[in-house]
Amino acid sequence: MPRPTHGAGELGVTFERPDARHTLLVVEGEIDTLTAGALERALSGLLAEPAEVLVVDLTAVTFLASSGLAVLIRTANEAGERRLRLVAAARAVRRPMEITGSDQLFDLYPDRAAALSPSD
Amino acid sequence: MTVPGRTPREETGSVSDWDSHLPADTPGELAVVEVRTSASAALIPTIRAVASDLAARADFDLDAISDLRMAVDEACATLVDVAAPATMLQCTFRVHPEHIEVHAHVRGGSADAAVSTDTFGWRVLQTLADNVEALRQDSADGADPAGPTVGIRLDKHAGAPPR
Repeated sequence: MPRPTHGAGELGVTFERPDARHTLLVVEGEIDTLTAGALERALSGLLAEPAEVLVVDLTAVTFLASSGLAVLIRTANEAGERRLRLVAAARAVRRPMEITGSDQLFDLYPDRAAALSPSD
Repeated sequence: MTVPGRTPREETGSVSDWDSHLPADTPGELAVVEVRTSASAALIPTIRAVASDLAARADFDLDAISDLRMAVDEACATLVDVAAPATMLQCTFRVHPEHIEVHAHVRGGSADAAVSTDTFGWRVLQTLADNVEALRQDSADGADPAGPTVGIRLDKHAGAPPR
């Protein structure tokens, strides 16, 4: 029987280092009260990276609850001078950010290539 | 083939499932769906999937479907947090022509159990829903467990209201 790669309660998190300047965290699955803790641990790991630019790819995230949004907002604050770049195209992620106004706190990109581009 | 007493009509993409498959003789309220689960965070994905499905079938616009799914998730997560161990979460959806009303409740785990309304989650919930209120009713003497009934009622319109 076909099943999603990441079912309820599971969150896929993968680190990538595409080049010396960027560290990328790829997140897959649903971010809610069950998985916000796993996201928080992964984001702490991302903040500990020395890279100049931190990118979180949320393309494969299919749900984002306020608990997950709160973790992303805290991480953006902690990133300080290093802006946190988020890759988010789907409504499931964009809508919660827009409706809470938290989209202003992140640098949002429609795809990974744009987030990893050397401009600015 | 014709069903006696009913005018046959063609199915069209613009007619919602509720209009075409449910009797229209209950004005103002087309369908009631109750979901009852253990008060466990692990079951909230199932409840929010039901919310999303009901909104899609009721022809909600895509933003409103997304908002209702998130609002129901938020309400249930809040209630599961205050629920007594090994109790149930009950979530009732009333699907009206232009809006869905949701009432979720649990039995609180302590005498002072209540929905906290000074949290980020509650502010998000207020933004997502068109109307939201926290409910609380003390249990009758001798009830077991003794905690109050704690609930959240919210309303979501089919189309995003002008902002």
